Amino acid sequence: MSEYTVVGQTVARVDAVEKVTGAAQYGADIHPPGMLYGKIVRSKHAHANIRSIDTSEAEKLPGVRAIITQDDVPSGRRVFATDKVLYLGEPLAAVAATDPDIAEEAAERIKIDYEVLPVVQDVIEAIKPSAPRLHGDDTKDGPNRREISGQIRTLSRDKENDHSDEISKLEAELEAYPDEVYYNISAESHTEAGDVEKGFAASDVVVEDTYVIPRVHQTYMEPHVSVASADSSGKVTVWASTQGPFAIRSGIAGTLGIPLTQINVIGTTMGGGFGGRFGVIITHVPAVLLSQKTGRPVRVQMTREEEFTDGRPAPGCVIKLKTGATNDGQILAREALAFWDSGSVSGASIGSTIRVRGVYKIPNLKVDAYGVHTNKSGTAAYRAPGAPQAIFAGESQLDEIAERIGMDPVKFRLMNMREEGDAVPAGGSEPKVGYKETLEAVADAAGWWNREADENQGWGVAVGDWTNGCGPGGVYVSVHEDGSVRIFHGSMDITGTDTAISQIIAEILTVPYESVTIRRGDTDSAPYSTGSGGSVVTFTMGNTAKLAAEDAHRRILELASERLNTNVDDLELKDGAVHIISAEQPKSISLGELAAYSLSTTGGPIVGKGSFARQASTPALAAQIAKVEVDPGTGRTRVLKLVASQDVGFAINPMAVEGQIEGGTVQGYAWAMMEEMQYGEGGNINPGFVDYRVPTSADLPTVESVIVEVPAPNGPYGAKGVGEPPITPTLATMANAVKDAIGIRITELPIKPEKVVDALKSNGR
Amino acid sequence: MKSFEFYEPTTLAEASRLFAEEHAQLLAGGTDIIIGMKAYTETPETVISLQKIPGLAGITTDGDSISIGAMTKVREVELSGDIQQHHTALAEGASEIGSIQIRNLATIGGNIAHASPAADTVAGLLVADAQVDIASADGERSVPIDELFTGPGQTVLTPGEIITRFRLPKPASGSHYIKHKIREVMDLAFIGVAAAVNLDNGTITDARIGLAAVAPTPIRATAAEDLLKGNAPTPALLEQAGETAAAGCSPISDLRCSAEHRREMVDVLTRRTLQYALERARA
Repeated sequence: MSEYTVVGQTVARVDAVEKVTGAAQYGADIHPPGMLYGKIVRSKHAHANIRSIDTSEAEKLPGVRAIITQDDVPSGRRVFATDKVLYLGEPLAAVAATDPDIAEEAAERIKIDYEVLPVVQDVIEAIKPSAPRLHGDDTKDGPNRREISGQIRTLSRDKENDHSDEISKLEAELEAYPDEVYYNISAESHTEAGDVEKGFAASDVVVEDTYVIPRVHQTYMEPHVSVASADSSGKVTVWASTQGPFAIRSGIAGTLGIPLTQINVIGTTMGGGFGGRFGVIITHVPAVLLSQKTGRPVRVQMTREEEFTDGRPAPGCVIKLKTGATNDGQILAREALAFWDSGSVSGASIGSTIRVRGVYKIPNLKVDAYGVHTNKSGTAAYRAPGAPQAIFAGESQLDEIAERIGMDPVKFRLMNMREEGDAVPAGGSEPKVGYKETLEAVADAAGWWNREADENQGWGVAVGDWTNGCGPGGVYVSVHEDGSVRIFHGSMDITGTDTAISQIIAEILTVPYESVTIRRGDTDSAPYSTGSGGSVVTFTMGNTAKLAAEDAHRRILELASERLNTNVDDLELKDGAVHIISAEQPKSISLGELAAYSLSTTGGPIVGKGSFARQASTPALAAQIAKVEVDPGTGRTRVLKLVASQDVGFAINPMAVEGQIEGGTVQGYAWAMMEEMQYGEGGNINPGFVDYRVPTSADLPTVESVIVEVPAPNGPYGAKGVGEPPITPTLATMANAVKDAIGIRITELPIKPEKVVDALKSNGR
Repeated sequence: MKSFEFYEPTTLAEASRLFAEEHAQLLAGGTDIIIGMKAYTETPETVISLQKIPGLAGITTDGDSISIGAMTKVREVELSGDIQQHHTALAEGASEIGSIQIRNLATIGGNIAHASPAADTVAGLLVADAQVDIASADGERSVPIDELFTGPGQTVLTPGEIITRFRLPKPASGSHYIKHKIREVMDLAFIGVAAAVNLDNGTITDARIGLAAVAPTPIRATAAEDLLKGNAPTPALLEQAGETAAAGCSPISDLRCSAEHRREMVDVLTRRTLQYALERARA
C-alpha cells in the first residue's frame, strides 16, 4: 500500500461536473454586452503578390463597424500580409460587424487584386534551385559546403600566415558539392558525436531508408477563439482560449506596443490544446485591434476550415536515415538528414531530429536538419513536438536491423538501451530511467514472448522518449475557518492538472481531497505561470503546490504551537488537525479552529506561498505493442490489440495518467494510419473532418495501459510529465506491426489502404 | 449562410409550384443542404421544406414489394426488418451513412436526390431494381433508379419535380453491400459495391451489381451481371465478374484515392460482395 492517502489515488477531476453538465465556459460562451463579431479576410491563393486591397464596397454594408489591414497596426509588427501572400488563408484584413453573417459578407466584398505566383508544397521540391522562392534571402549551403566555407573563412582570417594553397585546395573541393545547396531554408540544426563513417565501416549491417511523415493538425475540439475588449483608458481585456495566458499577454504587448499590465488575459476553459494553442496573432491580436478601433468588445472565432488553412499544425518532414550495427546486435552508428516542412515561416521543430538517437547507446551519431519553406501556414507544437516524426524513422529502422541480424525486436532494443551513467549521444550522461522496465512491462502485458499470429496478422513494438519541460509558476494556499483549503494560481488546467495540484495540497495538509478547491486567476490577479504545454504543469505546478502547502504547513504548526503551548517539534499535522506527538496528554486542534484563531494573531491568516521555476527533469519512456491484421485485398488494417506502457515516475492520479496514455496512443495511431493534411497547387485541399480523418472509438480496441513508476528525483512525489511521451512511439509501432503482418515496410505515412495494396502489388502479391 | 425565403407547404402541389422557381432548393433531412449553405456552396434564394407534407414518410409492404417514402429517415431504412431481410444491401448501405444522429435526420429521398455518385443507399436501390416515383404540379411519373442520374449532382428531374417514393419489386434471394473506406464508421465511400443474386439449384438465375463512386453516376455492372446469369458461381466465375465490373467503370482520381485504386477495389469488392450475397441466397 502507498504511504500516501490522496496522491497516487484515482479521484474525480475537479472539473468533472462542470464539463459533464456543460457549465464550463469555453471561449465562444463569452458574450459581453455590445459585442461585435470579427472575421478575418484571407488569401484565396497559396502564393501571390498583392496588387491592391479595396475595402470600399465592404465598408458600405450596414452593420460593418470596422475594417482593418496592416495599415492599422501602429507598431508595424506583421499581423496581416501586405504585398505578398505565402499560403492559402493567410490573413490580409479583418472585419468587425454587428452580426457574424454581415462580417462574413463584408469579408467577401473586400476586393483583393492578386498576381498569382508559382507554388511549392513539397519540401524536396522546395530545396531545389528550380523551386519558387518564398523569401528572398533563404538559401543555405549544404552541410559539406558550409563546413568547407567555414574552413576557408577561418584560414582567410589568419593574417599572419599565408594559407593561399590550402584555400585554393578547399575552394576546388567546394566546387565538388554544387548539388548540396539548398533553397528555401528557414533554419538548420547540426549535431555530431563520434565518427559515423568509422561506425558504418565497422558495421556488419547498414540499413538506409527515407521516411516521409505528413503534416497533421492537433484537431483540438474547440477552434481558436478570443474576445477582446479595449476600454477608453486603454486597458485591454482578452478572454482567450489558450494554453498560456501569460505568454499571450506578453505576445500582445510585444506585437501591439501596449504596456504589459494594461493587458489582462483571462484564460477560458480549453477545448483541447496539444501544443497548438499558444498563437498570439492567430485570433487574439486581430480581436484587440478591432476592439481598439470600434470601442466595443469583439469576438474573433475560427471556423474548422480556418483551423486547417491558418492553424499552426505539426510539421511534416522527410528524414533520410542510416543505421549500422554488428551481427551480434550492437548499434554502432546512425546518421540522419532531415527536411522539415516549416511552411511560410520558420518554426518547425527541427531540433527534435536528434530524437533519432532514441534511448540507445549509439557511439557515433550525426544529425543534420533543415527547416524548409513551402506555401503552407506556419507550424507549432503538437504533443512532443518533432519526436513522433523522428522516432518513427528511428524505430522503423531498428526493426529492419533486428530482422537482418535475426534478433527479436524487443531483445535488440533491450540490449542497446542506455543505463544509468551511460553517455547520451551528444548529450551528457543518463540519469536513472526505467527504459528497460517499461519495455519489459509492455512486452509482458501484451504477451509478446508467446505471441501468435494468423495469416496477415502481425505484431509491432516501438519505444519513444521525451522529457518534460519546466517553467516558472506560483501558487497560494489559504486555509479557511471551516477547515477547507483554497488554492489560487494562474496556470491553465490541461489534462487534469488542477486535479493533481489539489491532490498534492490535500496530501500535505492532510485534508480530504473534497475539502480542497482550486481557482485560476487571470493575468491581472494570479502569480505568473508558465504555459500549459511541454508536459510541464504537473512537474512545475506540482512542485509549486508542494512548496505552498509546506509553507502553509509551517504556519499551521506555528499557530498550533501558540495555541497548544507546545514546542513545534512536538506537533504533528494529521487528518486535518494538529496533534501533540507525545501521547501522555492527548491534545489536538483542528485546521478550522487554527484558521479562526489565526485571524486575531500577529502573524495573520494561514497563507502558504509557493514559487518555483527550474529543476532538472528526467526523461520518460513510452513503449507500445500492437497486433494488427491487414486485409490484403483492400489494404485496410485493423488493430487487434494495442498495449502501451509508460514510465511516469509516479502517478499522482492513476486514472488521469491512463487517460493520457490512451489519448496519446490514439493520436499516434491516427497519425500512422489516417491523418494527413493534403496540399495541392491551391493550398490545403482537405480543410474539414470529411477528408481529414480522425479515428472514432470504432477504429480501435481499448488501449491497455501499463503504468511504470521509476521516480524522477525532482518531480513532485517523483512524478514526470505524462502528456507527451505516449504519442512518440505509436507511428513506428503501427508501421512495425504492418511490416510483420505482410512483410512490407511502409516508410511513408499514413498507412492508407491504397498504399498497402500498391506495396503488396509491387512485391508481387 | 446567405439569407433566403423559407416555405413549409403542406401539399405536394404547392411544394412543386414553389420548387419550379429558379434558385429554389428542397429541404428534406437537411444533412447535406444545410452544410452546403453554411459553406456558401449552396446559395438558394428559396428553401422549401417537405417536412409538413403528409404521406411522404414510411415503409409499407405489399406482398413481395416494398415501398419506401422519400421522407423516410435513413435510420428507419437501416432498422426495418423487412428491408434487412429482403433488401439487405439497402439496409447495410443505410447503416453506413454518417453517424446515428445524422441517420436520424437524413432521408433516403435526400440521399438519392442529392445525386452524389458516392451515396450509400444508391447501390442497394440499384440492385433492388427500384422504381423512383416522382410528382410535380403536372402529375406523376416513375423512372427506374438506374435512369435517374445524369451526372454528379444531376438527375432527370425537371424543375418542380419531387421524388415521393421508392418502390422495390420482388426481392432477390440474397444481397450485400460493401463500402471501401478508411475509418470504420462515419466515412465517405471511396467506392461502394452492392450485389443481389437469385440462385436456383446452384445456378445463378439473376444477378445485379450496383457500383457507387466509380463513375459520374452510380452504375450497374451489367457486363459482369450477364457473365453470372445462367452459370454456377465458381471462384473463377466470380473472379471474372470482378474483373469485368472493374473494366466497366470509369473512376476518377481525387484526394481520397487514385482511379486505379478505385478500379482495383471494384474488382476485389465485387467478388466479395457476390460471395456474401450468394451465402445469403443459400441460407
